[in-house]
Amino acid sequence: MIEHLFDIERDAGRDSWIHSLDARVKIIVSFAVIIAVVSFPYSTAVYTLGLTTGIFFLVLWGLSGLSPLVYIKRFLATLPFGLFIIFFQIFFENPWYETFTPLVTLPFGINIYRESVEFASILGVKFVICISFIILLSSTTTMQALLNGGRRLGLPSVMALSLGMMIRYLFVFAGMYGRVNSSLAARNFNAFDRSLPYRYRLETLGYAVGMFFIRSYEQGERTYISMLCRGYGKDSYEHLPKKSLIKSEWVFLLLSLVFIVGNTVGVYLM
Amino acid sequence: MTSITFIQLPKFSEKITDQEHKVTLIFNNVLLISGEYMHIPDAFMPITQGAIYWIIALIFIGLALRWAKDEMSEDKIPLVAVLAAGVFAIQAFNLPVSMGTSGHLVGGALVAIVLGSPYAAVFVLTLVLIVQGVVFGDGGITTMGANIINMGVIGGFVGFYSYQGINRMIGNIYISSGIAAWLACLIPAIACAFEMTIAGTFPLVPGLVAMSTYHAIIGIIEAIITAVVVYLIHTSRPDLMTTDTKETVIS
Repeated sequence: MIEHLFDIERDAGRDSWIHSLDARVKIIVSFAVIIAVVSFPYSTAVYTLGLTTGIFFLVLWGLSGLSPLVYIKRFLATLPFGLFIIFFQIFFENPWYETFTPLVTLPFGINIYRESVEFASILGVKFVICISFIILLSSTTTMQALLNGGRRLGLPSVMALSLGMMIRYLFVFAGMYGRVNSSLAARNFNAFDRSLPYRYRLETLGYAVGMFFIRSYEQGERTYISMLCRGYGKDSYEHLPKKSLIKSEWVFLLLSLVFIVGNTVGVYLM
Repeated sequence: MTSITFIQLPKFSEKITDQEHKVTLIFNNVLLISGEYMHIPDAFMPITQGAIYWIIALIFIGLALRWAKDEMSEDKIPLVAVLAAGVFAIQAFNLPVSMGTSGHLVGGALVAIVLGSPYAAVFVLTLVLIVQGVVFGDGGITTMGANIINMGVIGGFVGFYSYQGINRMIGNIYISSGIAAWLACLIPAIACAFEMTIAGTFPLVPGLVAMSTYHAIIGIIEAIITAVVVYLIHTSRPDLMTTDTKETVIS
């Protein structure tokens, strides 16, 4: 996951109308879509909701100017656990249904039920929409902008400070992670090489992880001491200038919220 | 399909069917091959349940912040935040389990043992899960409360207190930390299976069997690596931790 950090930040730093929107607008719109989709009942009407919200997503992604490949790569990276749960739904008699009609009978007498396939598809649609908006949010907003947006939306200062420190050093450790892996590879070490004794592989990895832990702790100590030198204390407050949304951001935010609420309620009542 | 509201709680059949038994075996193997972990994504839990888990998680986050203020002085929070970035990187190490299966460290037990408090794990894992959920889409936004409870709260508390208990019995910090890390990997997975069943998105018995088997196996790697890391820290920076976790390490 950390290997993709630089790619995500590079994409987030590009220039487009979506990229230039205030992070607060993008956070509110993305979270509103996720909450609306998750709140929607597990019914087949989700297909319509998924279609309309999907078109909304495609429009926003198009406006961001990012390649579809960026989306596909990130989508595939986040897929596995959700995909397994969705896929295996088709074999279970889901409690949301009363009767089950076998659709296909596989070897060993395993049935695939029509109702379970339906439930899996409902879950799949919801999952894809939620993931898509998170990908859109993080692919068009730098981490620092996300944090500032969060602070302006009321994220407690202590959490903002912690997340800010974490984000800053995430890139340091991502680089360090790459260097550690390179140095291990340079010494022909492969954790999955069965010709090497298992104990040796675990010891090497254990020391690498332990070294990482100690280095991050020591980095934390150095950072903390240098912050103290610059006058940091528990009452310190990192100033974040006030920033009002411009007219176009207000218009986009209000139109988006009207669409999200109207679309969800409309599809539900249909 | 009958109209369903999210207030309704579904109930899976209490008896495991023959089909569920077979599918569980397949699901188990798929999990083992994939090396996937238990970040519950959005939509796999009704919004009301997600909100309840969020409220519980927020209580523990508040307690973790109070721990940070009381036990290690609030101004040292940057130190733990930088450590959280390190733990995030540590989770990226792909660790070989067996038969081509891989796993990765969660680190909840390790953080709790080294920093001497389960709240340290809650604090660090909350930061890690926020970044994973918002930036990488690994774990949902509405389900983040459940994920914090599983990996941060349950993982941290199980890891820390089982370490203390086992260490008092056998007096060996490496074995104790290994067993504690294994339990801190297994118990949250079982909790996750229960949460998915309550949510109506996975039946209990197959979920329990698959999640507990898989995490019992990858928990072995978590146990070994945690024991090695504790050994390394104890040898090279003994000031970071004490063998008796009664004392707070950072003071």
